[in-house]
Amino acid sequence: MAIVGVIGFSLFAAMFTRLWYLQVMDSRELQALATQNQVREVFETAPRGRILDRRGRPMVANKISQAVTVKRLEIKEDPEVPVRLAPLLGISQAELAKRIEDPRYTRFRPVPVAEDVSEELVVYLRERSQNFRGVDVVTSYERAYPNGTLGAHLVGYVGEINDRELATRKDKDYRLGDEIGKSGVEQSYEDDLRGRPGRIQLEVDARGRVIRTLGSTPPVPGNDVQLTVDLDVQRLAEESLDQGLATARGRTPRGGGPPLAAPGGAAVVLDPRDGSVLAMASNPTYDPGAFVNGIRPELFQALQAPPSRFPLNNRAIQGEYAPGSTFKLLTALAALQTGMINPGTTVLDTGEYSLRSCRGQTCTFRNAGSTSYGRVNLTQALTVSSDVFFYSLGADFWFRGGPNAQAIQTAARQLGLGDRTGLPLAGEQKGRILDAGIRKKLNESNPKAFPNGRWYAGDNVNLAIGQGETVVTPLQLANVYATLANGGTLFAPRVAARVLRPGGEVVRELPPSAVRQVPMPPNVRDPIVQGLTGAVADPRGTAHGAFAGFPVDVFPVAGKTGTAQVVGKNDTAVFAAFGPVQSPQFAVSVFMEESGFGGAAAAPVARRVFDGLAGKPLEPIRTTGAVD
Amino acid sequence: MDLTLLGAVIAIAGLGLLMVYSATQNRSGFAPTYFVQRQAIFTVLGIGLMVLMATRDYRVFRDFAPPIYVATLVALVLVLSPLGSDKRGSQAWFQLGPFQLQPSELAKVSVIVCLSAYVAAHRGELDGRRLLTVLALAALPMALIQGQPDLGTNLVFASILMAMLVVAGARPRHMAALVFAGILAVVLVFQLGVVKEYQRDRLGAFIEPDSETMRSAYSLRQSTIAIANGGIFGKGLFRGTQTKLAYVPEQHTDFIFTVVGEELGLVGSALLLVLFAIIVWRTWRAAALAKDLSGTLMCVGVLGMFVFQIFENVGMTMGIMPITGIPLPFMSYGGSATLASFAAIGLVLNVHMRRFS
Repeated sequence: MAIVGVIGFSLFAAMFTRLWYLQVMDSRELQALATQNQVREVFETAPRGRILDRRGRPMVANKISQAVTVKRLEIKEDPEVPVRLAPLLGISQAELAKRIEDPRYTRFRPVPVAEDVSEELVVYLRERSQNFRGVDVVTSYERAYPNGTLGAHLVGYVGEINDRELATRKDKDYRLGDEIGKSGVEQSYEDDLRGRPGRIQLEVDARGRVIRTLGSTPPVPGNDVQLTVDLDVQRLAEESLDQGLATARGRTPRGGGPPLAAPGGAAVVLDPRDGSVLAMASNPTYDPGAFVNGIRPELFQALQAPPSRFPLNNRAIQGEYAPGSTFKLLTALAALQTGMINPGTTVLDTGEYSLRSCRGQTCTFRNAGSTSYGRVNLTQALTVSSDVFFYSLGADFWFRGGPNAQAIQTAARQLGLGDRTGLPLAGEQKGRILDAGIRKKLNESNPKAFPNGRWYAGDNVNLAIGQGETVVTPLQLANVYATLANGGTLFAPRVAARVLRPGGEVVRELPPSAVRQVPMPPNVRDPIVQGLTGAVADPRGTAHGAFAGFPVDVFPVAGKTGTAQVVGKNDTAVFAAFGPVQSPQFAVSVFMEESGFGGAAAAPVARRVFDGLAGKPLEPIRTTGAVD
Repeated sequence: MDLTLLGAVIAIAGLGLLMVYSATQNRSGFAPTYFVQRQAIFTVLGIGLMVLMATRDYRVFRDFAPPIYVATLVALVLVLSPLGSDKRGSQAWFQLGPFQLQPSELAKVSVIVCLSAYVAAHRGELDGRRLLTVLALAALPMALIQGQPDLGTNLVFASILMAMLVVAGARPRHMAALVFAGILAVVLVFQLGVVKEYQRDRLGAFIEPDSETMRSAYSLRQSTIAIANGGIFGKGLFRGTQTKLAYVPEQHTDFIFTVVGEELGLVGSALLLVLFAIIVWRTWRAAALAKDLSGTLMCVGVLGMFVFQIFENVGMTMGIMPITGIPLPFMSYGGSATLASFAAIGLVLNVHMRRFS
């Protein structure tokens, strides 16, 4: 009897203890859960801000869409719902099932099964919501691209937030299924464009039925971002680049070899006065509209497969190319800045250059086509693109030793090469400017990948004409020419000018920002500008053919062609320029992969861009016979 | 007449009606008073049965033990036949007009009477053979109940049996062997898949309560939240949000304690436990004071039944016991359980009244 009594007593004691624990000790935390139970927050996405061009024309806007959506988990609870819904949407059961299982949507997002539905259907569904469990009508704002693919790489695209993005934005009120900028301006100015989602607090019962509304905060629409980009210039650059590539494609390069593939390229137009990006073209391109509501997985895979030529890459900032002869500007700058030569110093260009105290084939460097230009000074050397002149500068720098051994690299870095320009778009590459010290370090840290640890005179010779391991992005090169154009101010290029409220009121300006002032006195700048002007205007200039008929008297252009050798592939055609020379407003760079000579392929593209910038009627691109 | 016991029972039954009303007043498809009216009828019938059970001398029941036992078995067999009806996967009811009768509930009381009669007839000398007979007497109805299946009720049977054997003077090594066999049986039952998946889920939910994917884990979580939500003084009668919004499942039956916890708080639920403790105390006292062994054993059986049901039911709502479908005596909505509980109290009152005669 006693045992039974003791057991009974202790069981009651256990119950009292647990009761005390739950209702007194643990109560606060669990009470919060009880409140959470009853209150459901419904989020209303804010319309995303627009992206405007420099004159306020929309590049990315929104369209309002009324869509019938289905919650996958809920609709499965009543098999009758799809049977009732399909005929209302005018589609078959099978089609509806297929749409519901659309893999673009995660299970947290309602799946739209019909877009832009009629108002009658909306009313019908809302009045009979109890017969359509899991079916909703949502008004949503979708990204709209009034200019199609124009400026796709600049504006970027939006997509569903992923786990990593969600984790880094814990404090910013994102939820699974939210849309977020994935690239371009959409990504960089996400915080401005997004706005704040609205919330509605509802009291619901265990079955999710709404008892009443407790309160709500309306969504705050996102702000507009106004770019420095001019839609007209952007269109001009994209069309010209595309035409240029199409013209080059399939041609046999001069001197034979496999036909030119011309798979892609980039063109950049900057305003040298403040570093604003006026246009940034990357070819091939893609349709950002395909990403609205989630891109189809097979399309996304196709966009990342080699046959697509990687259209999602923004080659203007992600492409790293050897600059070829366009790099001579920097060698010239180094030579004049250090006083190693003066504008009158001449070199006898016999068509080839041999390193002294060196024997063998690799000790001799030739001009393109082994052309001999006779005795040339710096200005003439730039105009005709004498490699021999710059070979000798490269070798002289190296043999002088001391700081001069690095003079070319120093000049290149001063003008922003080998580092990001600071353009506020993600994914920008740094390019590469090697020197003896860096090569040594690379070799020491990873001898397998970098077997060569020494810097030779021949390396300096190649560096002087933009060959070897030097690579730059198209934006970097345009910025180098912009800096020469404005007299030495290196800007961090900007793509957006200001943030505006939906009504047009300015929230904040995004002013230009100068990185540094590069000393460029007239005795340094003038001979270079003169040489580049000659390259376009002088009959012996490498871009003269491409600019035939261009009004260089009223709109003088200073430019440089480049033909960069790439191992195992056809040459990269390069052209960089600025104009008008007396008061520069535009700096342009054009890179075309596997397209042959800069003067023949890239200069005509830049020419067409300058035609447009000078207000001339546009003509289709034709190739010229020019060499580099 | 034990007025303390009677008072506690009536008080709990009254509170039970209030709580059933609170839990069911907003049930869609039913009139607000549908459940409470029916439960009131069961309570009145229960009180009648209690009076009946108290007024006849319990020794009469003892003498009629064999026919009572046979009748119980017949009822349990019939409920498995097409005469019985199936509800939620369990063949446990006779449909009688608008009401259902669940023979396994009443079987608890009749088995208490019959086991007491058999053990008392042998003056409590339980050698191995008699112990086996007692076990066989209990095992027959339990096997039939497992056929329904109803694991919860069988657990009640097991605790009734254990309490009675301890008091009847079973030898310690027999008890130890029984406990061991019990553990072995539980393991086998799980291994052989006799336990249905939902039953395993319920036990799993007890072990791992935060896995919300499980329906049972949901029940457990919501029920602890509801009780904690009450705090010290409760949300007020009819004002529990967990209750009103139907977050806790089966709230008028198995989870009725959560309504007390949420609406009446620590004060109300502690008071309810005190009332239950009074019932247990008075039953224990009646057992101790009983004139003969059969009376003592009847009270001990009732004691084992109530203590297990209360602890299992209240413990499950607070997350310290696994979830099984066992009603809380005098509180949970349900006719057969209410009748059985009142009948058991009638038996205790009976033994108590005749402690001197």
